[in-house]
Amino acid sequence: MDDLKRALRLALYGATFLLVGCATVRPEDRAILADPVMQYHLDARAHAALDHVHENREGSFGGGSVKGGGCGCN
Amino acid sequence: MTRSSRLQSSRAVLSWVSAGLAVLLLGLPQLASAQIAEVDLRSGVFHEPSAQSHMTVLTPSATITAAPASAVSVTGSYQADIVSGASESVKAGPQLSSFPDIVSAASVTDFRHVASGAVDIQRRHTKLGLQYAYGTELDYKSQSFVVSAGTDFLQRNTEMEISYAKGFDKVCNMAHADGAPPMYRARLDSSVGCFTEADDRSEDDIDMDTFQGVWTQSWTPILTTQLIASASLLHGFLGNPYRGVVVGPSGIAAQEHHPTDRSRLALSMKTKLYIRSLKTATTLSFRGYRDSWEILSHTVGLDMDRHLSSWLRLNAHARYYAQTGAHFWSDDYTGGEPLNGPRGQYWSGDRELSPLKTYSGGTRFVAEWRGRSGGRLLGMFLNFSTSLSADLVKTDLENFTWAGTKPDDTLAGVASFSLTTLF
Repeated sequence: MDDLKRALRLALYGATFLLVGCATVRPEDRAILADPVMQYHLDARAHAALDHVHENREGSFGGGSVKGGGCGCN
Repeated sequence: MTRSSRLQSSRAVLSWVSAGLAVLLLGLPQLASAQIAEVDLRSGVFHEPSAQSHMTVLTPSATITAAPASAVSVTGSYQADIVSGASESVKAGPQLSSFPDIVSAASVTDFRHVASGAVDIQRRHTKLGLQYAYGTELDYKSQSFVVSAGTDFLQRNTEMEISYAKGFDKVCNMAHADGAPPMYRARLDSSVGCFTEADDRSEDDIDMDTFQGVWTQSWTPILTTQLIASASLLHGFLGNPYRGVVVGPSGIAAQEHHPTDRSRLALSMKTKLYIRSLKTATTLSFRGYRDSWEILSHTVGLDMDRHLSSWLRLNAHARYYAQTGAHFWSDDYTGGEPLNGPRGQYWSGDRELSPLKTYSGGTRFVAEWRGRSGGRLLGMFLNFSTSLSADLVKTDLENFTWAGTKPDDTLAGVASFSLTTLF
């Protein structure tokens, strides 16, 4: 029963999260969002180069950009 | 890699770069009239100021993107990794600290070439991408395909993107006798003979499949979030063929022996907030990771971007990372279990599989100039930007030693420089 309640609570949180996502920022309010500093892919090549350094010194991978190839030892 | 082969590789690369620049320069007038090309030239340098490794990696790259039609862009790029330094070829633990020179260092010099091409198609609310990359070096060849698709909706407040990458690589290895137990497999001593018909060399496959989904959401005029989920499957030779690990108290070493399968899961959450009082965009990110080798990790990052003037931008960033060790990792495979002994049938000398923490931070300056009202700078460029960055990376290895001695190559500096022009 507790598991069911927990699952329902999680589903409720998830649905709330998704519904809040339907709230929109109107086009006339997007001036700051349009600034390059608010873009996630800003300086993407520089980020990728630094990610490459980290990936070669750490044991984890992923959660950034999709990549293939490279050294299979990491 | 021999000096003559390095020189030959360098000459080949110089020839290709020269030919590419010549084509580019000859094509400039046409490109300028069409206003359709971006050229990005950059180089990075990585250096460990360590007496032991003295590792230095140069990564020059050139990328050209052209838009032959309004919805289509085509990208071609070349990158090189020029590596020189030294790394430990045989790993031992503290139980063998009395053995002189049990941990040996071998010089490492290599020249990796990566060429890639991509096509992106973008309509009003959808985009499709296809990318292929080929990498080659003396002892490793890689190929990868990436396909991606994305769309935005709810007045561009919601963006979703999915992608899949397939990698199929080949790594050079010793030609071990059929059925030879891992304990009796010798490490690869050099890249001489790799990818030839040499009797003492073989090729091992590595397959990689990576799936990823990205959800980007604008919540308010100053707040956005991004959720990234990725999963990858690896199969094949997943160790370092050059590395040996001491597995017996007498000092006997065998080639590193890792499982042939690995699955990975990562979930990232990023929040970007514009702080009006500071006129700064701040990004806080968190990533959780787990894989089938029982490595658990988390990463926390902070990025701050600020316009210092109409043409100059500053980025400052910091990152903290911590991971547990792989379930089969041990600093010493010669003693008793479980503290200083084998943990199952595998052994590794890879510090990346040991418990560790990483601290890093740096800054990047980006200067960008645009022609006024669609005009051109110097009669040629629609846009010209340059960047300069510097980072420090410090790794804290909790258990990893060279026969009981803490490694001294745990600090690294990374610097990069770029020039990007739009014609």
